[in-house]
Amino acid sequence: MKGYLKTTAGFVLSATMASVSHADVTIGELQGFTGPLESMIGAMSGGANLAVTEANASGKYLQGTINVVQGDSVCIDPAVAIAQAEKMINDDNVMAIMGPNCSGNTGAVITNVLVPNGIVSISPSATSPALTTLEDGGWFFRTAPSDARQGPVLASIAMSRGQTDMAVTHSNSDYGKGLADAFVTAYEAMGGTVTVMAGHDDDKADYSADVAALSAGGSATLAILGYADTGGRGIIAASEDTGAFSDYVFGDGMISAVTEAAVGDGSWGTLPSPDAALGANWLAVAAAGGVDGSGVYSAESYDAMALIILASQAAGSSDRAAIQAEVMGIANGPGMECHAGKLADCLKWISGGLVVDYVGATGVEFDAGGTANGSYAEREVIGGAFTNVKIHK
Amino acid sequence: MNNLKNVWQSYRAVISFALMGLVLLFVGFNQSWALVIGIINMSLISAIMALGVNIQWGYAGLFNVGIMGFAALGGVSVVLISQQPVIEAIDAGGIKMLLALALGAVTIAAGVLLNRRGINKWLISLVVVIGYLLTRYYFSEASDLIEKVDPAITGYLGGFGLPVMLSWVVGGLAAAGAAWWIGKITLSLRSDYLAIATLGISEIIIYVIKNEDWFVRGLKNVYGLQRPVPYEVDMQKSEWLQNIVAWIHRSELQFLTQSEQIDKLGDYVREASVVFVKLSYSGLFLVILVAFIVLSNLALNSPWGRKVRAIRDNEVAASAMGKNITRQHLQIFVIGSAIVGIAGALLVTYDGIFIPTAYQPLRFTFLIWVMVIVGGSGNNLGSVLGAFIMWFIWIQSGPIGLWVVEMLGNYIQEGNTSLEFIEDRVHYLRLVFMGSIMLLIMRFSPGGILPEKNKEL
Amino acid sequence: MTSDSIDIINAFALLTNFVILPALSYGSQLALGALAVTLVYSVLRFSNFAQGDSMAFGTMIVILLTGFMISRGWTISGIPTALLVIPIAIVFTSMYLLTMDRLIYRHYRKIKAKSITIVMSSIGVMFVTGGIVRFVLGATAQKFEDGERFIFSVREFKAYTGLEQGIALKTSQFLTITIAFLLVAFVFYFLQKTKTGKAMRAYSDNKELALLSGIDPDKMVQITWLLVAALTTIAGALYGLDKGFAPQQYHLLLLPIFASVIVGGIGSPIGAIAGAFLVAFSEILLTYAYKKFLIYLLPLSMHPSSLVQLIGTEYKYAISFVILVIVLLIKPTGLFKGKVIVDE
Repeated sequence: MKGYLKTTAGFVLSATMASVSHADVTIGELQGFTGPLESMIGAMSGGANLAVTEANASGKYLQGTINVVQGDSVCIDPAVAIAQAEKMINDDNVMAIMGPNCSGNTGAVITNVLVPNGIVSISPSATSPALTTLEDGGWFFRTAPSDARQGPVLASIAMSRGQTDMAVTHSNSDYGKGLADAFVTAYEAMGGTVTVMAGHDDDKADYSADVAALSAGGSATLAILGYADTGGRGIIAASEDTGAFSDYVFGDGMISAVTEAAVGDGSWGTLPSPDAALGANWLAVAAAGGVDGSGVYSAESYDAMALIILASQAAGSSDRAAIQAEVMGIANGPGMECHAGKLADCLKWISGGLVVDYVGATGVEFDAGGTANGSYAEREVIGGAFTNVKIHK
Repeated sequence: MNNLKNVWQSYRAVISFALMGLVLLFVGFNQSWALVIGIINMSLISAIMALGVNIQWGYAGLFNVGIMGFAALGGVSVVLISQQPVIEAIDAGGIKMLLALALGAVTIAAGVLLNRRGINKWLISLVVVIGYLLTRYYFSEASDLIEKVDPAITGYLGGFGLPVMLSWVVGGLAAAGAAWWIGKITLSLRSDYLAIATLGISEIIIYVIKNEDWFVRGLKNVYGLQRPVPYEVDMQKSEWLQNIVAWIHRSELQFLTQSEQIDKLGDYVREASVVFVKLSYSGLFLVILVAFIVLSNLALNSPWGRKVRAIRDNEVAASAMGKNITRQHLQIFVIGSAIVGIAGALLVTYDGIFIPTAYQPLRFTFLIWVMVIVGGSGNNLGSVLGAFIMWFIWIQSGPIGLWVVEMLGNYIQEGNTSLEFIEDRVHYLRLVFMGSIMLLIMRFSPGGILPEKNKEL
Repeated sequence: MTSDSIDIINAFALLTNFVILPALSYGSQLALGALAVTLVYSVLRFSNFAQGDSMAFGTMIVILLTGFMISRGWTISGIPTALLVIPIAIVFTSMYLLTMDRLIYRHYRKIKAKSITIVMSSIGVMFVTGGIVRFVLGATAQKFEDGERFIFSVREFKAYTGLEQGIALKTSQFLTITIAFLLVAFVFYFLQKTKTGKAMRAYSDNKELALLSGIDPDKMVQITWLLVAALTTIAGALYGLDKGFAPQQYHLLLLPIFASVIVGGIGSPIGAIAGAFLVAFSEILLTYAYKKFLIYLLPLSMHPSSLVQLIGTEYKYAISFVILVIVLLIKPTGLFKGKVIVDE
């Protein structure tokens, strides 16, 4: 009996200690590796770890080698997300957390972990407008802009393109629903008509009924505010098969290689992105690092991770409060511009005492609440590929 | 060897709980107390949930696969009871919504009454359809009005603004009501029907919660729910906590400079506040769990409990003696579901957030079932033990899986593609792991770790 | 659209394109899965919760083999490669299912466990299978369709007929409906006419009597799993061809499949098929918005302004369960009298 206990205990100990060596620093990566967003996490995790690899390879990061502890937040289970975050903080002694993903989980982690423990987390993908009003004590940042901004941008582009009526379908998630509310409110205020608005469940069997109901409203344009890899893909397939819609409008979750291959020219969408050059730069950096840069939120993930690393460099320590004090300054500048793929220069500048402005893969600028405040690229499918048409502030 | 076996046989429960306690203590000493208490709190909530399921399965052989739905009803109660009412939304569409719901109720009542009178089926259908269409018309108008009120922040009616602890009782009642209705339909059918019906109905409950925004904000989640315990940030400012912490660490602190002292003390106070808040929750949950265990043991030893056992042990004989089995099963189904509902309310209170999409069968139905089976079906203490073991594994399986892969990595050269492949996918092995545990226990130790005494299998 | 004449042909084309064809192919896919569940229920006496994930397993094999064939260039133009590899995939799937039976279910048969215990063990199998599939293929959605996508597309149909509303027929829809029809016919022929099939029915009706008349129970069980493997793999592959593959999606298919089986009458093959089509058609008919359809059929003055939709599409997946509850209330044994297993 005794021997058994010893092995069990030893197992738990080494399981949690294995990845920590004391001369190094650790960052927690809290993402929904399993659960509803599991299909998107691969590219996001790739983006995040690319920033770490880059910083480590440069040898310019002064606090030691950066380790990453991954934790599976299951995306929609706050209890697991909280437990994983607490394990990272207390046991792995992380200096900050990159993540979590879904807005609900994020809210739970903010209230139950970040504020009480005093640690920074930067989420790459929690876009719910409700998070803006949640009390976060300044510990929470997000590199993806709030959907409260994307909605009006989408609406005004649609109106300027003369698309005055459309059907709207959103993913049945806090992301899809929040974006749809923001969009429809703005669109109707500008004089647009929403013929039908209906949610679709992700990962479901069949979307023909959804498309049939959407098309019955009579509009030829369909706005899809959801995920390219799951429900959105199904909606497009069902619509193309039945010829229900010919024009599509996409939220940022739909801008992906899967989508551009499935729809005809002329459909368009918005994606948080400062300008075409940055987008192209990110794709090249990602490709060189063997990461799918077109994956939704992969660029935001890179930025979230890079910001933590740079803030720690600027703080000159891995102290949690010191990191918090630096994030805003690094992200918003003014100073030398840091781009994706150039973390080595950036780390060097910071240690040399220069002031930097992290632009990164998506042109991160935070508003006062710590939410990315960047501009949106209007992307149109031209010749079977999403192409930047215009930048909307 | 025989001796050891005897000791195990007679002190099973004590030994198992002691071992579990040791593992938790070990984690506490080596990792952190906040983490351990967090695990304990979730285990306590799961234990209450497992207890409810165990009462249904162990006392009546009812296979309820709708745990998720009952837990969600508990969660809804928390929002409805404790959130402040949204006055604007109530002004905008509250009365219309009431009217629409009343119209719906009248339609159902009319259908049922006409049916009892034996009136022509087509006529009844016509009445019901017209009633449905009217209800739907007013209903969608009202819900539109409510959902238009500041959709990003509210867009729902809100709750009653009452103390959150009241919602725990209401959550139990709501789940009991739903269980009564489901039981009425399926319990007389026996067999797998209850399983499939509960599975389906729990899905319907979740669909309604997800899609009716006016009700509990639907997919947009309800953030910042009321707490029955103080906030950590407030605690960190309180002097008495600072004093206690300073006193505990006095020997360490006295050799530091003033600024170092403040830094260090700040860290300790922060940790202490987290631990304190979590311990307050533990106390609440523990009281509820113990109360349920005591109550159910008392009940089992009462005349009612003897009847329950008589029916369970031999349904045919009990039925021949004039016992109403269906009614008995309905009672037990309602009681068990009510306990699950209460646990669901506790969980949402503890999380401080209500997320409808969090209700997944894997997490809320099947994990609880594995707890019941592993711990010992029919044995209340077994369910509690099962809840502790399985929640610990559920939380630790991720790190353990990664650790195994890393160990493997030491023997395989760098950059091996198959290793990278495994690293990417290791999270999915949790499913295989859970399933295997369940199957192995069911096969080789059908009674679980703490089997029920005197039960014929 | 603006004309006020009554246009029955366009109305019919609209309904065919959006309701009838999708419901037919969805129903066919459900029917095969439901048939598998009902076979397991009749012969092995439990509701197989692992059905959805078993379909994912079968499809996983199909996807792996398809990838292999394409990489070797062993394809026939115009025909989805997946169709060619289905027979081999069936062999693998039946091996897997038989192994699971040998490791898990056989024990419970031997000790005559309550059917609920076996149901619970099938939930364990569901976990393990789902985990294996995700481990091998990942959780990402996949497409493995090649060859011609359409037999005729909306555009071609419109050009050919000159109608305002088009009808599209996808290759996968056509294949689904035809293959499902042939397979169902085969299963019925097998159960009704062949010696083994008759023995299986006898065994399912009355175990003791069947044993007395010299039927080998192990053989019955094996044949059942073989049939189930074939149905499962084909249903999974057809579904994946039509709508793409994602493990979670297959897992959730369990719900409408169960609804079909119970609505039709659990244990009744014909009921399973009827139930499947009933579920598929009601999901689509009740959530379809009839506005356009009525505009074609009604004179201008009566054109509806609302969508004329009975239930929001949000509740589409709840419909199968509402039907289930209604059937349980009115006719608990299902439309075609099924059986309720009483523990021995």
